[in-house]
Amino acid sequence: MKQEALNISNQGEKGLSATKPSKYSEYKRRRKIMLKSQGFITAIILLLAIWSIWGTGFNLLSLFFGTYEILVFIFTDMFPPDLTVIGQLIGPALDTLYMSYVGMVISVVVSLVLGVLAADNLTPHWTIARVSRAVTAFLRSVPAVVWAIILVSGIGLGPLTGTIAIGLSGIGILGKAYAEVLESIDGAQLEGVRATGANWFQVIGQAVWPQFKAGFVSWSLYKLDMNIREAAILGLVGAGGLGYYLQGSINLFQYKEAATAILMIFALILMVEYMTAKIRERII
Amino acid sequence: MMETILEIRQLKKTYPDGTEALKNINLSIKRGEFIVIIGPSGAGKSTFLRSINRLSEPTSGEIIFHGEDIVKANRAKLRKMRRNIGMIFQGFNLVKRLPTVRNVLHGKLGYMSTWKGALGLFNQEEVEEALSILERVGLEDQAFKRADELSGGQQQRVAIARAINQSPSIILADEPIASLDPNSSRVVMDYLQKACQEEGFTTIVNLHQVDFAKEYADRIVGIKNGEIYFDGPVKELSDDVIQSIYAKGKEAMPV
Repeated sequence: MKQEALNISNQGEKGLSATKPSKYSEYKRRRKIMLKSQGFITAIILLLAIWSIWGTGFNLLSLFFGTYEILVFIFTDMFPPDLTVIGQLIGPALDTLYMSYVGMVISVVVSLVLGVLAADNLTPHWTIARVSRAVTAFLRSVPAVVWAIILVSGIGLGPLTGTIAIGLSGIGILGKAYAEVLESIDGAQLEGVRATGANWFQVIGQAVWPQFKAGFVSWSLYKLDMNIREAAILGLVGAGGLGYYLQGSINLFQYKEAATAILMIFALILMVEYMTAKIRERII
Repeated sequence: MMETILEIRQLKKTYPDGTEALKNINLSIKRGEFIVIIGPSGAGKSTFLRSINRLSEPTSGEIIFHGEDIVKANRAKLRKMRRNIGMIFQGFNLVKRLPTVRNVLHGKLGYMSTWKGALGLFNQEEVEEALSILERVGLEDQAFKRADELSGGQQQRVAIARAINQSPSIILADEPIASLDPNSSRVVMDYLQKACQEEGFTTIVNLHQVDFAKEYADRIVGIKNGEIYFDGPVKELSDDVIQSIYAKGKEAMPV
């Protein structure tokens, strides 16, 4: 699409200088081409939507009638939440928190290295950039839940599995995000420092870092936010934390306990979001 | 006769797309000279200056600086030579988010250990020296402001301070006043000239303002189409010569 647009504009420029009187028809011609391509894209989006609705059997009616069943389930089976189990939930809640935090630290440390190596403007060699990008793309393409399922078979049940799963999938996301932030920094500032005789590490520390810091902090905290959600899910496949407890109580039809666990996850997410927002304000 | 500090022989630079930016540059520069290079946009002035500290890699030729060839230097050697060459850019190229004084301290990076430099661990002596250099360029009150809070002319003076802090033997200035108003331009050129006279720096400045060139230069070099077209003292630069330097030749490269 882009290539095509480029070609058109090139031809257009030549045509413009050659035939002056037909500027209006040139304008009309370009406008027509633009409208055509916009129409084409809109048609594709609509077709995909129709296909997906058909494929998923999406049906508003079933949602409408299902709502009643859902409400009955929530109010008779889950309500009121069994708050007496809160004591037992504190341990799993802390596990979820540890998993998210340590997972983030792992991904930040590894992604910093991979991100710098993957960024075109900083990499020592373009082949290293390619390799680093391939590694992050691979880690990103496997969801944390799948990592957890694989790791459970090797490491066993528990928070360690969850931590490593979160860390690995986080590298995929942060490695790419860091590389993109690094590629968008101002090269002239690096050149200014490089011209003083500074070496690679000094340029990174004195010219790259000041430009990178804001993006680094905000992406890393965003990942911490996401990790709390992921950590809750990971428990469902046996990787410890609140999700593990949630799954246990659902399996035993203890929905009132499950409701408490869900409220706990909810509270944890809000708490972490509040804290990361505060930290971001402070640092940036 | 003063000693030769920089000797450039048969310097050529061809870009990957085949553009010959520098065709065959031979130039001998003596210690303490203030040289201004003039020429139309795209003539190769900037490429020439950037070739000297290899921010732009020359294709072939020799650049003998303090008896050693910069073109052949390996990375470690090149960094040692670069700290001896201060560079001032059209866009200032300061690290905008860092305080002014830290930008001046960067001039010392080439003399520091990797880790101290990377982490910015400058000692009291170094900080005090940087502050006193800022005072010399009239910016003592701006030392702790972020670099991008300063005006363009002030930023360029910070860049001069950074270059002075390198204690270089040569200063290269690539269009230092092209993005400044006439008043700031004069102030910047005055500070540059003063620093070079006081410290005995050899200075090479690219300018496109001929009037400024005539006023500040000891010697003028005119570059046209990647070749040296004129080389001599200011008084030999007649209006005819200026016109033919800036006249659009057939081979004039687009900007």
